[in-house]
This record gives sequence, C-alpha cells and structure tokens, in this order.
Amino acid sequence: MSFEFDSGILSVLGPSGCGKTTLLRCIAGLEIPDEGSIHIADKAQTSISKGIFVTPYSRAIVFVVQNYALWPHMTVHHNVAFGLKLQKLAADEIRRRVQSTLELVGLRDYEGRYPSQLSGGQQQRVALARSIVMEPRLILLDEPLSNLDAKLREEMRVELRKLIKQVGISAVYVTHDQEEAFVISDTVVVMDRGKILQYAPPDEIYNNPANQFVASFIGRAAVVDGTLLRVEGEDCFVQVREFNNATLMCQKPKNAISGQDCKVVIRTAEVKLDSGRLNDKGNVLEGLMLSREYRGGLTDHRILVGSKEIVVTSHKLCPMIHIEDGRERIYLYIEKSAISVIAEPRPSTPRLAEF
Amino acid sequence: MAKDIAAEAAVNWRWVKLIYKQGTLIPLFASIIAGSLIIAPVLIVLSRSLTTARLGTFVGLTGENYVRVFTDPKLLPMLWNSLIYAAGSATIGTVLGGLLAWILARTNTPGKALVELMPLYPILMPPIMKNIAWILLLAPKAGILNNLLIEYFGVQGPVFNAFSMAAMIWVFGLACVPLGYLFLLPVFLSFDPSLEESAYIAGSKPIHTALRITFPLAIPAFLSALVLNFLRGLRSFETPVLQGSPAGIQVFVSRVYDAMSVDYNPGLGTAYSTVLVALSILVLLFYTRITRFSERYATITGKGYRVKAIDIGKWKYVTFLVVFSYFLVGIVIPFLVLIVVSLIPYYDFETFMKFPANMVLTNFYRVMRHPSFVTGLYNSLTLSVTIAVITVLMGIVMAFTMYRTRTYGTKIFEFIGTLPLAFPPLVLSLGLVIVFLGTPLYNTLWALGLGLFVAYFPYALRNASGSIVNIHRELDEAAWVHGARWRHVFFKITLPILKPSVAGAFFYIFIEAIRNIDVAVLLSAPGHEYGPVTLFEYFRVGQWAEAAAGGVIYLLILIVAVSVAKFVFQVKLSL
Repeated sequence: MSFEFDSGILSVLGPSGCGKTTLLRCIAGLEIPDEGSIHIADKAQTSISKGIFVTPYSRAIVFVVQNYALWPHMTVHHNVAFGLKLQKLAADEIRRRVQSTLELVGLRDYEGRYPSQLSGGQQQRVALARSIVMEPRLILLDEPLSNLDAKLREEMRVELRKLIKQVGISAVYVTHDQEEAFVISDTVVVMDRGKILQYAPPDEIYNNPANQFVASFIGRAAVVDGTLLRVEGEDCFVQVREFNNATLMCQKPKNAISGQDCKVVIRTAEVKLDSGRLNDKGNVLEGLMLSREYRGGLTDHRILVGSKEIVVTSHKLCPMIHIEDGRERIYLYIEKSAISVIAEPRPSTPRLAEF
Repeated sequence: MAKDIAAEAAVNWRWVKLIYKQGTLIPLFASIIAGSLIIAPVLIVLSRSLTTARLGTFVGLTGENYVRVFTDPKLLPMLWNSLIYAAGSATIGTVLGGLLAWILARTNTPGKALVELMPLYPILMPPIMKNIAWILLLAPKAGILNNLLIEYFGVQGPVFNAFSMAAMIWVFGLACVPLGYLFLLPVFLSFDPSLEESAYIAGSKPIHTALRITFPLAIPAFLSALVLNFLRGLRSFETPVLQGSPAGIQVFVSRVYDAMSVDYNPGLGTAYSTVLVALSILVLLFYTRITRFSERYATITGKGYRVKAIDIGKWKYVTFLVVFSYFLVGIVIPFLVLIVVSLIPYYDFETFMKFPANMVLTNFYRVMRHPSFVTGLYNSLTLSVTIAVITVLMGIVMAFTMYRTRTYGTKIFEFIGTLPLAFPPLVLSLGLVIVFLGTPLYNTLWALGLGLFVAYFPYALRNASGSIVNIHRELDEAAWVHGARWRHVFFKITLPILKPSVAGAFFYIFIEAIRNIDVAVLLSAPGHEYGPVTLFEYFRVGQWAEAAAGGVIYLLILIVAVSVAKFVFQVKLSL
C-alpha cells in the first residue's frame, strides 16, 4: 500500500487487526517494515532498499497510544517535561512550555499529580499534552479515545479536533469507529487486511463508498446484489432480485455499463417509512414489518422486503407509523441520494491512493 | 557475480546499521560479557573432566576420570546416599510445609499465627547455623539432647546421632519446610471455596473434605515444591560435609569437595561434578514438565475468593500441636542453642547447663580479634553489597536487551541465564578455580566475586525479566518517540519503575551472598577469607563456641539487613 498526505488530520479507519496500528508504528519508527519506504517532507525516514532508518527519537514524530502510556513514576509535570528535558532546553523555557500546554488541555492545576490520581479523560489529555509540547512534525494517535466511556468519547473527539487544529500540527488518527473518524478528520483512509480500500474526505467515503467493504463498514447499510438495467443521464436504474425484482432509480456510478452486475448500498438511516402509499416520485418499496426494537431516541424496524430482511432506523420525531408488529404492510421511501451503486467488477482506483 | 556480492554486502551493512541505530549495541555487548562469564566455568568443568593433566597444563583428552568415577566401588552407595538424602529431606520438608500452609490458610487452629513469620525464618537462619545448632543438639557424645536423656531419664548410651543419614535428612528436611509452605500457601488461599462447599453439601465432613478434595487439588503445587526441594538437596553443601563426611556418608557434593580439598584432584572432581550436573539437569527438566502440567490444573482461578477457615472440631488440638512443635523445634530451639552456646566460655554439656550463671562475652571478644574472621567479615560485607549491586544491574541490562531491544538470540541469553541453576554452586566455583589458576586473579577477591556473580545471576535475571515483561512496552516506546535514546529509556523509565523489584533482588542477593559457603569455600584463600567459610572452618576444627558467636554476629547483620529492606525499602522478602 502507499499513500501521501499533506497536512490536516488523516484518519485511518478499519476493523481491528487490519494493520492500522502497525502502519502507525512504522511511521513512528517503532517497527521496521519488510519493504518499502516512508518519507517526511521528501526526506526518507525508513527506506529498506536504501538502507535508511531514522531512529524514533530523531524523527520528531510523537505517538499517543490507546492506554496513554503515561510514566507512572512521574508527575504530570515531569511526564510533559520529559521530552523537553532531553532536548536540554533551559529550565524556565521548559516550565513555560509545560504550563502553557497544560493550560491548553485544561489541566493547569494537576501538574503535581501522578497519573494514577487522574481520571481516564484527564490521563488522555496529559498524554496529548506530553506530545504536543514537543512541537512535533506529526502526531500519531492510536485509538486514543477507545478507553473512555461513550459520553466522554463523544465530547473528547470534538475537543481533540479543536485542539489539534489550534496547535496546527498534522495528525494521523487511527480508529475503528467510523463516526469518530468522520468527526475528527479531514481525510479518511479505509483499510482492511493491510490494504487501502479508499482514500477520500469523509463525505465522499460516506456518499460514494469505493466497494462493498467500505460501504458496509461505514455505518448502517443494507447491501444487495443488483443488475444495472439502463443509464439515463446522471441517473441509472437498477433491478434488485432480492426485492422481488423491484427497480430503483439511483445516481449513476462512474464507468456504468448497462446490463452490468452491481452492488446496491442503501443507507438505512436515510430511509423514510410510512404505513400508507404516498404519492411520491422516488423509489418506493413495499415490505412487511417483522418487529421493532425500541432504542430510546431511535427505533429499529426489522422489515422484510422481498426476501431480504433490512433494519431501518427511525428517529422518534419521524411520523409515527401506526402499525402493529407482525407482518403488517409498510412502505419504504428511498431518495436516490441514499443509495450508492458499486459497479462490478470495478478497479478500485480512488483518488490519491494506489496499491 | 561481482554484482551479487556487492548486493549482499549492502544488506549486511544495513542490518548492522539498523541494530546500531536502535541503540542495542551497548546492552548487547554488556549481555555478551555477562553471558561469557557464566558459560566459561561451565565449559571448563566439562573439558577438565576429560583430562588427567595437572592444572595449568594440558595433555589431551582422556576418559580416565570417568572410568575412575564409574568403576569406583563407592559410586553406587554414593548415588544411593545422594538420592535418599535429597528425597528424604524433600519429602519431610514439603509435607510439613504443606501441612502448615493448610493449617494457616484453612483451619481454625489456635495459635496458628506462630507460623506466619515462616518466610523470614530461612533468611535469618543460614544453612550452616542450622547444622551447627543441630550438631550441638544431637552429637552422640557431647550433644545436648543425648546428655539430657542420659542424665535425667536414665537412658543408656546416646539415642541420637548427628552424624547419620537420619540426622542429615532431619536437618535438611527442616530447611525444606519454608519452600513447601510458600509454594502451597497461595494454593490454599486462592482455592475456589465452592469446590469444598459442594463436598459439604454432599455430606462430607470437613476433615474428609480436606483429605479428599483440598489436598488432591494441591498436588501439582506440592509436586513442584517436592522436586525443587529434591534439587536443593542434591546441591546442598553444608549438611553433607558437616554431618555426612565425618561418618563416612558420602554424597556427590561432598565427594567433589573432598576431591578438591583432600585429594586435590581437579580432574576427578570435575568428573564427579559432571555426573552430578547431569542428574540435576534431569531433575530440572522433570521440574519444568511438572510446572507445565500444573498450569493445566485450572481449579485455581484469578478470582479473589475470600477463603473461610474451616472448623475442624477436635482435630484443631492436633493441628495446634503440629504448629507449636514446629515453632519450637524448627525455629526457637536452634536459635536458643546458638545464642546460649555463643555466650558460654566453651562448649561442653556441663558448661551449657550452668547457663546463665556463666554468661560471658569472651567468644565474641575472641572472634572479633581473630584476623581471619575480621577480614572475612569485612570481605563478606563489602563483597556481597558490591556483587548484589552488579548482579542486579546486569540482570536488568540483560533482561532489557532480551525483551526491550531488537536483539537476536534472546533464547541463547535465556539459556545462559538459567544454566547456572543446573550447576551446584560448589561445581561452579570448582570451574572458576580451574579458570583462574595460573592467572593473576587466582586467590583474589575478584575470583570470589565472580563466583558469587555467576551463582546469583540467574536469580537477578529471572527477577528482572519477570518485572520488565510486566511493564507495558508502550511506556518505553512513548519515551522513544519523545526523543529518548536507550540509555534515557533505561535510566529514566525502566530502572525507576523497576525500583521495588530491584530493591527486592538486591536484598535477596545480598543476604544470600553474605552467608554463602558453597561458592566461597573453594575460592577464598588465606589473606582473602570469607566470613561464613571462616565459621565453617572453626566448626570443622571443633571451635564450636567461637563458631556460634560468629554465627550470632551474622545473625545480627541479617536482622539489620532484613529490617532495612522491610521498613526502609518496603521490600517483601521471602526465601
């Protein structure tokens, strides 16, 4: 695999065990790849063919790991000052920078505490402060939020993005949570089994997944097989066998050829439900309500469309469907923007990425 | 063709560069030095056993020594003695230790707190002191117990004989109790109570439950302790030499010692050593098999059970008797005898019985004026502190190299680090004697220090590996990416985090080294005495009261060391 990235925040998104962490470790110089090379600002950091290896301590890249790796025998101040001391900076310069960084992460009053005396969120911010105080060229973050509870995680991801933008350093952010990746980053790399599947901004990944894996990995979607019947301008019509051969109008994928087999990805969160047949020009599918799962603000509806069971999530405020469970008829209204068509076989050549 | 060679050279150079840049060269170098120090005496022992040449010369390889060993008519009795001695004392010690552990952990025996200090006992009582105390008690003519029986109970002739196989097994068996106790206590403490409760529900009485459920489940740990005690018996030096040799009961270790100190025949000594080492390796292999087996016994889980003490009814008086007798016989009496004998003018039974009317400090006065004891004391103090520091540091450096850098051959280091375990300390020092003979190091403290280093390095390495593996690798890596080189990582991250276990290993090695006899006995020399060896010599020439006084001085040093470790460094010391 190979990719370049300029500045801003890049997320590496993929299921666990797909090589995200190894990628970060290679960038940091903690791992030596079998082959290939890593360049920063056109200077080789690791190059197996040229025999170049810049040590992790001289790369000026910092690494924030999942469990923060705060040194337990040092106070917050000493943790943050560690790298600066190794640079042999003047004592008051160190103090000034440590204090302003702790100010930035809102831990000014915790300087004398030991990591074990801090909460998970605070430890996370110390780890971040320890890294940004170094003014690195690049900051690598390996699932930094996954040890926090759900509520804190949602708060921290916004804060994290704000902080990184404020400091103005580039970051590579590894996560398996697509929502987190979308919130935090400017660009997303989707990885699986050591390969890059797509390299694009979040909205493009969401609206235009490069393949079935990306489509099903990012958020709730129903993926079904289809046949491309015909192309009309920017639109195309796809027949889906599993939906009783219903025809859906969708946006035309690139390189679409009539008669071609394709995958149809329906983002179920964007599907509108109603118990009555409305006069709508868009796609309408008829289904049977199997069951409903109440999730508080949201409700999951299990609906059988043709021979395919799909789960549609609706918001509480959506028009309530006055239907009893148990095989009642229901209509699904699907905008063409909620559908992506992935033509097969399609050479995956996403922008900027090659593999 | 030329192109191929050039490409290959580039590849090799690249790896050298990579290793260097990862900063592993210095720790690797240090580890190699430590490794060769250890492997040298081992190889020397093996190669020496194959030559009959006088030391310092080399004639060629011969199997003559082995022919002599294996045609020795005393070989079979000696093998038999070694096995009986090791097996007997291991059985007594492990059974008693396990029983005490069960009593403490699981029963409502009154006064069971008496055994709670068990882990400290072997630290305070060096092996030689136990032998001295028990010889004073059990010696056929002069022994306190025999005389008491003859004088007050009208028994005809001596009952006990300190210089017999039974007495050897008894004394070393008592020395094996703490290990049995320490191995089995965690088993009984972390036992899943529901296993016992289901037996009660099925109608089993507490004591039957113990016999049928609790004890069988403790078998793996029991076997481990048994085999380890057996190995210790094969390696032990003081008991066979002080109690066996006078009666002509030879085991391997005492035969090796005699080959060096009586016959002065290193070739023969090394040949006997090789046989002993082979035996030890067999036992060690068996031990690793057992421990692997016991891991499969999945009854003891990580859950924090609160074990209840069981009401064992009238049996608690029996168990109380066990606890109290052990406390008396295993701990109080030997200590008391030593202290009393050190305080009387000279040792014989009449003088002993006059205590405390005849209490004097002349023995202390005498040993403290004896140059060889004073030098020995000084040497043992300075050397054991130095060796403890160096050994612990080297252990950490090697463990650091093995687990924290990208070095090749981790397995080799591990092997080298555990190798000395298979070698009884006396054999190691024999190897070092041969190594140093003819060099300026021979008969110096350097040689002795090196011997102690080799003997205790495995402990330091195991301790350091265990702790380093438990430190998250990310802590090191975080330091790497924040600009730390290996020396910064080592001194600012690894070492400070390891501090508690470093302190523990330091005190352990200090305490073991300061009372060491079996390494020092062949390596100390006139002018370079080692305190414990001096005591050993006193005792061999019959200066029992002086030996006791010297022993009490060491006892005081050990009490100070243990208190400092416990209260200043918060070290949990055991064995």
